Amino acid sequence: MSQSDSTPFGDRLKPALERLFAAVGSLWLRYEKGLADRYETLRGAQLTGEERRVLAVVGISLAAVVALLALNPVDAVVPLPVPSLTVPFVVSTLAIAGMYLLLTLGLNVQWGYAGLVNFSVIAFWGIGAYSGALLAGSGSPHELELHPLYGLGLAVVLSVVLAVAIGLPTLRLRADYLAIATLGFSEIIRIIILNEEWLTDGGLGVGGIPTLLSTWPFSLTEPVMAALANLTGAQPRTVFDLFLVMAVVLAVFLVLRRTQLSPWGRVLRTIRADEDIAQALGKNSYWYKMQAFVLGSVIMAIAGWYYAHHVRFMTPGELEPIETFYIWVAVILGGSGSNRGAIIGGFTVVIILQGTRLLNETVDWILFFVTVDASALRLLLVGLLVIVVVRLRPEGILPPQREHIWPGALSERDGGEDK
Amino acid sequence: MVEQLAIDLVEWLAGYSQLVASGLVFSSIVVLGSIGLALVYSVGDFPNFAHGDLMTVGAYTAVVVNVILGFHLAIALVVAMVATAFVALGTDKLVFRPLQGKPIELLITSIGVAFAYRALLLMGFGPSSRSYDVGGRGGIDWVRETFGVTVTPRQAVIVLVTLALVTVLHIVLQYTTLGRMMRATAENKDLARVSGIRTAQVLAAMWLIGGALAGAGGVFLGLELVVRPRVGFSILVVLFAAVILGGIGSVYGAMLGGFVIGMAHEMAGLFGDISDALPLLPGFGSEYGAAVAFVLMILILVVKPSGIIGGKTSA
Repeated sequence: MSQSDSTPFGDRLKPALERLFAAVGSLWLRYEKGLADRYETLRGAQLTGEERRVLAVVGISLAAVVALLALNPVDAVVPLPVPSLTVPFVVSTLAIAGMYLLLTLGLNVQWGYAGLVNFSVIAFWGIGAYSGALLAGSGSPHELELHPLYGLGLAVVLSVVLAVAIGLPTLRLRADYLAIATLGFSEIIRIIILNEEWLTDGGLGVGGIPTLLSTWPFSLTEPVMAALANLTGAQPRTVFDLFLVMAVVLAVFLVLRRTQLSPWGRVLRTIRADEDIAQALGKNSYWYKMQAFVLGSVIMAIAGWYYAHHVRFMTPGELEPIETFYIWVAVILGGSGSNRGAIIGGFTVVIILQGTRLLNETVDWILFFVTVDASALRLLLVGLLVIVVVRLRPEGILPPQREHIWPGALSERDGGEDK
Repeated sequence: MVEQLAIDLVEWLAGYSQLVASGLVFSSIVVLGSIGLALVYSVGDFPNFAHGDLMTVGAYTAVVVNVILGFHLAIALVVAMVATAFVALGTDKLVFRPLQGKPIELLITSIGVAFAYRALLLMGFGPSSRSYDVGGRGGIDWVRETFGVTVTPRQAVIVLVTLALVTVLHIVLQYTTLGRMMRATAENKDLARVSGIRTAQVLAAMWLIGGALAGAGGVFLGLELVVRPRVGFSILVVLFAAVILGGIGSVYGAMLGGFVIGMAHEMAGLFGDISDALPLLPGFGSEYGAAVAFVLMILILVVKPSGIIGGKTSA
């Protein structure tokens, strides 16, 4: 196993990596082909002309924003009134973006697949985050300092139990009831976490939350992470978390896409389109909706658990209902029911959120006579986006491809048989 | 036996008469809010999540008239009711009308509208809380002597004006042509239209009435608590609990539900007393008013989803 002294390490690494990528790639292609053979919806995975046009518009506008920020170094001759975009900022934003993608994928299961209006995304996220924080954090009032995996277990169990508890009375009724009940649930979780100091330390928050997988595999990969950190100027931990969360996102994405194509996903989409049809076909729509609701809620709780261990400090202030609607904007913007859309929508919303944070100074500069609060601006932006997207493009940027079953309410575009 | 029980009950309640008094005040606010919500629910067929923030619009309109322009709060109340009514009507025309017949889209859009209202108020007035430039904070002496309860003139005004507004609404609904048209439209829009009722105008009237009542509720909310950008959104869960308790779409149900939920909201501390007596349950205080309302709502959904005065349960 002794290393040859003439060839540097990098030169030998390269062909090895190439071989690895080729192997993974061919496995991937085979998997895709297998799926495509079985499911008509995936056949011809290339984008349709309209999708390409939409993606081009979105891509160009996003690229323009990024370019504007990136081509604006601090020492420019004529600095734009925009703060410049630094690499460490991008890395840490992406590490947070992973969390948003998980939330978006989770809501897509509920709203996109099954048509369930869940307004307590942030509550399930908070349950996951506080499960991690309270069991593992050194600043937790319980002083348990358990391994983060216990927190993950608690997050999953709690989110399952609470999702079932909300679903039991409301999923039998029409969609509004779930919307109202989840909005109430979200407020109550926030009030409990804020007020029950014996449980959560209340408004003070919980600190000292350990990082994830800190002994293994982080220590193992530390040289690589440190090298990447050197390259980007970010913290090694942030780089590691970025890889970690993106791996989770990829796994969840693949699982969800698989379930969407499965008979289970088909039944859910039928329920969303017309619940009476699903029931007439002998499907227990209540039970299917419950499964989708629980699955989505668990994904949200996992996202929260990751976030708590990523930022390492949790306060109840992060459980504001507005956060739920960032995720809603992401899902309906991306295309309800489409996992690709959920990813694109998630990224778009992260760019909007971070963008308003960055652009706040610019807005102050333009409207120097009015001081506009960044949070108010974001609130307005999210509100208007919801209104505009639902009105003008209810199917989102990337609607599910060749959907055979589509809700009546959204079918007019296809000259459909609405009502 | 029964008499003794009744006497015991009255005595027990007398110990909590202060809670009952403040419950009446909060109930008034909830009733005003939930009537408008129920009206929109019955004709628009969607839960308007912007209704809480519509109340905030009313509260801030009164801030402008009362605090900034310096008029009396009574004038501010009237202006707030008119302004909120037209904000509601304008929002319907601009945002909700084009989506007519799509309840889920309307529901999601209404959340966007709620945030837009709040964001504009935040931009205009900032995040700090404000209160009205009016006296009446001290208790009324004769009420304290007679009933042993502290009621401020502000609270008395809230309850009396609410009673007056609800009475007027009842008369309008029952004894005027407009009221009959409104009831017919709420019952069956298509049939109403076939019968020659101009449903578009009736719908506009309902938005105006619901908006005006929300405006009044918002002013009272600001009078009883403080005016904050989030004050209306915070009460939204309570309003929905009231509407569901009464039966979705039923105006009289909303009145009854608003009364019950408002009382329960203020009695949260009392529930806390009970749970303190039972060592197994964790004690909780008045900050859980919304939670009590929420639990009542869930119970109603389990037992009788159509509400006390039956409403709509299925699409």
